[in-house]
Amino acid sequence: MRVNPNPYPDLLASVAQTQQQINTDEQEIASGMSVNLPSDNPAAAAALVQNADQTSQADQFERSIGSIQGEMQNADSTLNSVITSLQQAISLGVEGANGTVNSSDRAAIITQVQGIQSQLLSLANFTYQGNYVFGGTKMQTTPYVLDPSSPSGVTYQGNSGTNSVTLGNHFTLQTNLPGSQLFSGSGTDMFQSIQDLITSLQSGIGIGKAVTEVSNASNSIDSQRVFYGNALNQLTAQQTYLSTETTELAQQQNTVGGADLTAVISNLTTAQTSLQATLEAIGQTANTNLFEYLK
Amino acid sequence: MSSLNASLASALSGLIADQGAMATTTNNVANVNTPGYSRQEPVLVASDPVVLSPLTFGTGVTLQSVESIRDPILESQIQQQTQAEGQYSTLASALQQTQTNFTASTGDIGTAISNFFDSINQLSTNPSDLSLRQGVLTAAGNVASSFNTTADSLTQQQTSLDLSVVQQVGQINQLTQQIAQLNTQVSNLQNVGENAGTFIDQRQQAIDQLSSLVDVSVIPSDNSLTLITANGAPLVTGQQSFQLQTQTNSAGLHEIYSQGNDITSQITSGQLGGTLQARDQEIPAIQTQLNTLADGLATSVNKVQTAGYDLNGNPTGATSASGTPQTPVYLFNPPAATGAAANLSVAITDPSLIAASSDGTAGSNGNAEAMYALSNQAIIDGQSPTDCYSGIVFNVGNSASNASAEQTASSQVLQQLNDQRASISGVSLDEEAANMVRYQNAYSASAQVITAINDMLYATIQMTTLTG
Repeated sequence: MRVNPNPYPDLLASVAQTQQQINTDEQEIASGMSVNLPSDNPAAAAALVQNADQTSQADQFERSIGSIQGEMQNADSTLNSVITSLQQAISLGVEGANGTVNSSDRAAIITQVQGIQSQLLSLANFTYQGNYVFGGTKMQTTPYVLDPSSPSGVTYQGNSGTNSVTLGNHFTLQTNLPGSQLFSGSGTDMFQSIQDLITSLQSGIGIGKAVTEVSNASNSIDSQRVFYGNALNQLTAQQTYLSTETTELAQQQNTVGGADLTAVISNLTTAQTSLQATLEAIGQTANTNLFEYLK
Repeated sequence: MSSLNASLASALSGLIADQGAMATTTNNVANVNTPGYSRQEPVLVASDPVVLSPLTFGTGVTLQSVESIRDPILESQIQQQTQAEGQYSTLASALQQTQTNFTASTGDIGTAISNFFDSINQLSTNPSDLSLRQGVLTAAGNVASSFNTTADSLTQQQTSLDLSVVQQVGQINQLTQQIAQLNTQVSNLQNVGENAGTFIDQRQQAIDQLSSLVDVSVIPSDNSLTLITANGAPLVTGQQSFQLQTQTNSAGLHEIYSQGNDITSQITSGQLGGTLQARDQEIPAIQTQLNTLADGLATSVNKVQTAGYDLNGNPTGATSASGTPQTPVYLFNPPAATGAAANLSVAITDPSLIAASSDGTAGSNGNAEAMYALSNQAIIDGQSPTDCYSGIVFNVGNSASNASAEQTASSQVLQQLNDQRASISGVSLDEEAANMVRYQNAYSASAQVITAINDMLYATIQMTTLTG
């Protein structure tokens, strides 16, 4: 049978093919990825788009948690201060209710309670990064202002709105409690109770009842403070979850699109050997034909 | 009975035939590297014998013809495969270029969309913060520019493919003209019984080049041939070639006409077929998907944006706080009916106009949350924005990968067919060297015979002289 007398095109095509393989392998080694172009593996490329989006989302949730955590920790410790102040007011009320207290001592107690009143006002108007934390969603307006015409001595200018922030694919967290609920909800009113304590200390009538009122307000706030404690716990739990998710996503990315370096390097070595062999074959075929021997 | 003169004539015919055969070998050796050249073989036949009863004497050898060795069936298979190879290699390289727009990078559409929704999530944690609001506007701008860049790049590619269409049509016209001329030369030679092998080789070479450009069918006729495209548009009939024309359509792209008929959509093979497939099918398909994504995203975001309140508590919808109609405050300019991706742009520059609030207070994030929720909602043809984009990436990658695979397959088949052609028609130097030795020896032998006859004639003449 007659054979193809010109093997060069085949040999060159083989060289080009091997060269292509070497380029692909080198690119995989350089990038560490087996999917460098969508055509390398269309399904994997599409999965990597999803993976990148989920990773970006998870990173963002972690950043958002960081932002919210600061606000909630501060809100929580502010409420702690509120409760401490209320406990002081209760102690002062109990002291004032004692029949042995003389009028000058009582006046001093009243001044102290008034001091606590203004302290509570400033605590209720606590701001974090320019926002009033206890004003509902009216975060740009001072929630509580002094108002002599009000029975409680203050007026609430905030609203009862709450915000929730998405911090996971199926996790949304309420991030604030409005003052209307926190300080004057569920049948107790912190400012009213302090005002009542001052009035009763001034008149000497019903101090015990007023102290109970303050105590109820304190208990109410203390029980609502659990909201922040729970939320902070949830944030920590979600952080843990997200960091696991991020790790899993990174693993998934590597599984779907990562280069199997051992295999790639082995392929590369094979391709290089094959290239060398082909080139040598071309060199060998170069100078042999019958004309050479007819001298 | 035979005569010495007859023997001399036989020996002479050997010398002449061997010279002719030698010329064929020389020509083969000279054309060893000529593309498309088919090796030639001398056809030697024994000359008609003379019958001098009761004996029959041979009268030497005749070089009847010089024949080019080729396999017409193989040639037509090569043509078909060349068409397929031309089509897929053009398509593959076009799609290879297209898909670079969809590789993962910091500026690709998928990343821009992720970053946009991330910025809204961040805004949600502190909706009154102007720098976070600015962050959303910047991210929205990046979404718009990523769509713009990709759409522009696709349009540019389409334009350059369109230029290729015009160039390829020009090449086709040049080749068909050349083939028509070669038809003339072939038939002129064949009409007078000459070997037209060289011109047939050149014509075959031109047909191969033409096959790589467009789908042609070859219909051989007496001493000539007819070329038509797959759909029957004539390219060459005998000695006449028919030029293809191009004409721009309403979209500014060139359509191809043959004899006044638009045959653009019927050209499916060859480089021209591949170019047209990329220009008229693959790229428009991607453009449509991108436009759907851009339109769906902008429209959905705007719908939420116009359902809330800006930082100053003003409603962003079509009704103002005082209840009078107003122009809604959009985040993206509402997309036009065509070219949503190319023209996507951000409508506002004042970050306070972003409607994060759902109750009119600056601290409310209800509307920002609603906007963020779009990231996982089926807002584009039943898909979330990221699902939609990853679908586009899959389609682009799949088309490019299929075209590459087809190209690899067709070029391998073509290579095998070319091997086969070379094994039949290629010039082998070994074979030519052996032939040369054969013809040389035969020539020497004939020459020796002549010398012998010469001696014999001399002897005869001497004989006459002695007797005379």
